[in-house]
Amino acid sequence: MTTPLLVIRNVTKRLGPHQAIDGVSLDVASGEAVAVLGPSGCGKTTLLRLTAGLEVPDTGEIWLRETQVAATGRSLVPPYERGIGFVFQDLALWPHLTVREQLDFVLGSMHVARHERAPKINEALKLVRIEQLATRYPHQLSGGEQQRAALARALVGHPRLVLLDEPLSSLDPDLRSDLRKELASLQRSIGVTTVYVTHDRDDAAVLADRIVEMRAGRMVSQRINAPPHI
Amino acid sequence: MLGVAIGIFIACCLLPVGYLLLELLRRPTDSLGAMLLDARRRGLLYNTAVLGAGTALVATAIGAPLGILLARVALSGKSVLRLALAAPALIPPYVMGLSWVYLTNSRGISPDWIYSLPAAIFVLSLVFSPLAMLATEVAMRRIDSRLEEAGLMVAPSGRVLRRITLPLTAPSILAGALLIFVLAVSEFGVPGLLRVRVYTTEVFTAFAALYDFGRALTLTVPLLVSCVCVAAVAAILVGDPMVTTRRSGSSRPAVFGSWRRGGLAFALVVIGIALGVPIVVLAGEAARAGSVRQVLAESGSAITNSLVLSATGATLVVSVALWLGYARARTLRSSGRIVDVVFVALFAVPSTVVGVGLIGLWNRPGIVGTVYGTDAMFLLAYLARFVPVAALILAASARNVPVSHEEVAAVSGAGWARTITRIVLPQMRLGIATAWVIVFVLAFGELGVSILVTPPGEATLPIRIYTMIANTPPSHVAMFALLQTIVVFTAVTVLGVVVASLRPSARAQGVPSVVEGREAR
Repeated sequence: MTTPLLVIRNVTKRLGPHQAIDGVSLDVASGEAVAVLGPSGCGKTTLLRLTAGLEVPDTGEIWLRETQVAATGRSLVPPYERGIGFVFQDLALWPHLTVREQLDFVLGSMHVARHERAPKINEALKLVRIEQLATRYPHQLSGGEQQRAALARALVGHPRLVLLDEPLSSLDPDLRSDLRKELASLQRSIGVTTVYVTHDRDDAAVLADRIVEMRAGRMVSQRINAPPHI
Repeated sequence: MLGVAIGIFIACCLLPVGYLLLELLRRPTDSLGAMLLDARRRGLLYNTAVLGAGTALVATAIGAPLGILLARVALSGKSVLRLALAAPALIPPYVMGLSWVYLTNSRGISPDWIYSLPAAIFVLSLVFSPLAMLATEVAMRRIDSRLEEAGLMVAPSGRVLRRITLPLTAPSILAGALLIFVLAVSEFGVPGLLRVRVYTTEVFTAFAALYDFGRALTLTVPLLVSCVCVAAVAAILVGDPMVTTRRSGSSRPAVFGSWRRGGLAFALVVIGIALGVPIVVLAGEAARAGSVRQVLAESGSAITNSLVLSATGATLVVSVALWLGYARARTLRSSGRIVDVVFVALFAVPSTVVGVGLIGLWNRPGIVGTVYGTDAMFLLAYLARFVPVAALILAASARNVPVSHEEVAAVSGAGWARTITRIVLPQMRLGIATAWVIVFVLAFGELGVSILVTPPGEATLPIRIYTMIANTPPSHVAMFALLQTIVVFTAVTVLGVVVASLRPSARAQGVPSVVEGREAR
């Protein structure tokens, strides 16, 4: 049996008076697409933030490819060294940078040589089909285009793991359905490991190999899912 | 009411400046050019520009990192820390200068150091750095912290600060620096105290020592033009829509948490130098005075005058600014921006320039002249200087009252007066209290206009302190300076207690976020 890419062990996290995460354990295999499903406030976003290193667990451990990245009360590896791509719920596109500059910032931070960046950026933009929008600023993009730009930014550094925090939630139903299918297709074609947080069962059903349900900071069930062929 | 307020605004704020401009236009252009460009004036221009730019640079270098610390690093007791860091802005600049003069004298440091342009920059930077701090903190709070978190996923915090945070907050930080430039260039007390020749002190000398109104008038030109232009640019920058990203409830203060220890140490050093040193030095100097009662008796009626005039002035200013601020809040965005620029530009008019304008306008025969030579000139000075800034504060407060609240009242049958008194003003009451205290503090420390328009035999506390410096024992002057600081801190503490007692509903009542000091988490 292969070692899981992501291992979360008995993690707890309190945010103020609220027990956001209460003893969650989760293994994610390499190449797997896991959807974390649950209502608002159940702790699923906090779980992603803990994995990314944006929060520190009160107790428990987090491992990424056999390297412990977080322990009780401590972050052992900073977010930018974990090799994770993150798509935020509101996308968090930097308003003062064009789409190309957003991707360039990621590669520059990874110390990719300047002459090697352009092909990688073009590849990522082509992957999400927004090559023609490279010089646009976020406010010059439609909702769907912003979504693709955020995805390109998360993928351009070839991360080991991509975390997606309800990235489709702000889109209208038609666009949401289209992008959901595209996202699933993309995930299968590049085979990147993903953890997708959502409160929408349709999203989970289309995007995930496995669906984990959360309630009040706890994992209450998980099941294998057979996503429809896209 | 709005008509009356606009009338007072035009008469008190616009007319003095308008009068100056008209008088200048009536003067022969060749003499004007000669007076502006001779070697002596160029020296003045150099000193003034270096004072303004140096203060803006140093104050921003101190204040901006503190703003980042308060906005993005989790700290316990942050409200107290913010208050302590902001407190130096409440100390009248010449009082701050006085404390450093006493410190250097007592340590045997050469007077060449303190009576110099760099020392004036140092003192003014201590007083104005809280403005840079608050401008930075407010700008950072307007940015969704997820933009920085997205950066932290791929880059260390230093790179995120340089490439994400600072570009987004730069317009506001720059606007803060420009306002500090204007305030430093407009400052009269510190350059006067530290014997630095700049335009404000030269205007005062021309008028008060040489009785040369024409010369004073000409000297106001570069000051007036530069301050109004720089302030207008600052007002435009503050409104830059690029930095107004969505403000979400997820703003997390701990983005740069790893800088906690270093940031805290820096903050404590700043508090020690900008707040601890002046208070300790003044208290130590004042302790040498024999009898407190005797020293206070020397002040004559200055303390009572200052308290009464400042309280009356603050009440008048807020009464006028309330309607202007409300009208501004309900103005369309495009024309409202122009009004903002006018308010900021008028607040930036240097105090000595306002003083010259008021004298030219009111010192004349007839009914108008009966006002000149009375205490009413102080009140006119406060109206001229502080209505614009109070209107901006109250506009911010009024904007937080949803228009729908007034519409519901109107639909329910309430008239305009009833809607304003029962619906709008109660929701603005903390904003009104904040504006009143700020104007009271500014009026209580006002020196530049007051010293020009003060009637014979009358004086406020700042004027008394300023005139006592040359011929009174330092211990007596220090006691007055300390007293002035205590009155200012007491007024602000009372405001803090009022805000704290009403905190649960503070946001709904339109308290500016800086005063509110809450963390969105």
